[in-house]
Amino acid sequence: MSLAKPVMRGLLGKRLRFHLPIAFALSLVAAAGFKYMVTEPRKQAYAEFYKNYDAVKEFNTMREAGIFESVRPSGE
Amino acid sequence: MAHPSQLGFQDAASPVMEELLHFHDHALMIVFLISTLVLYIIVAMVSTKLTNKYILDSQEIEIIWTVLPAVILILIALPSLRILYLMDEINDPHLTIKAMGHQWYWSYEYTDYEDLGFDSYMIPTQDLAPGQFRLLEADHRMVVPVESPIRILISAEDVLHSWAVPALGIKMDAVPGRLNQTAFITSRPGVFYGQCSEICGANHSFMPIVVEAVPLEHFESWSSLMLEDA
Repeated sequence: MSLAKPVMRGLLGKRLRFHLPIAFALSLVAAAGFKYMVTEPRKQAYAEFYKNYDAVKEFNTMREAGIFESVRPSGE
Repeated sequence: MAHPSQLGFQDAASPVMEELLHFHDHALMIVFLISTLVLYIIVAMVSTKLTNKYILDSQEIEIIWTVLPAVILILIALPSLRILYLMDEINDPHLTIKAMGHQWYWSYEYTDYEDLGFDSYMIPTQDLAPGQFRLLEADHRMVVPVESPIRILISAEDVLHSWAVPALGIKMDAVPGRLNQTAFITSRPGVFYGQCSEICGANHSFMPIVVEAVPLEHFESWSSLMLEDA
């Protein structure tokens, strides 16, 4: 009985052809993951915050809380 | 202001700082992309006994790992330059304030209409009222009208200082004999803190900056009151 000759050449190349596409794909997944889990939510959060932002109401809330020095709460 | 265990930037209180936040996210995304690729390749390299001692060159891979980094650098440079020029725009400011650095306090001058000037010293820890922030509070705050473009001219009277307010995305060196100009708009009312950002002696860490953004009518009342007290 004769055995098949084992593959003796191109082993590193075969390994690289297997792993490099996975490496590039994983790095693109990591970048896309960061973009859609951090970057886009942050942009949305800022857009949402300012969409219905009432500066006067927020200012009055802060004023009554006493955080400003140039404007004291209305009771004082 | 900063809070304990904070990892990222403070919440943006000016349009420029929002742009800087988004650019940082973009650059960090590219950093994660490259780091993941390199980490995977390192693990793949150390977990094999296979080597090829006879590789001399490979034009294809040389082209790939020249062109790809160049493309990545362009993807970083274009938004970076956009923000750089955005930060340089000074569109018709409503008010000009001069901030002068001293050892170890800031002084502010509002000389557009009247001659208003005052010093801003840190409130010592033992004099803080409950709820005030250690090493960040100042006795006189720089009050500005909210949502108005402000030009600020920064200089120093003795040694180098730097006027920085992270929430507004501003940092500008205060150089003796030189006037540095920058501008900002506060997107919302509030109180924004900063600290001197250039080593200037023993009390470099104890000359904070406090910017208070209030509606215009309150700013006008405040400036009238300050002029009367002066």
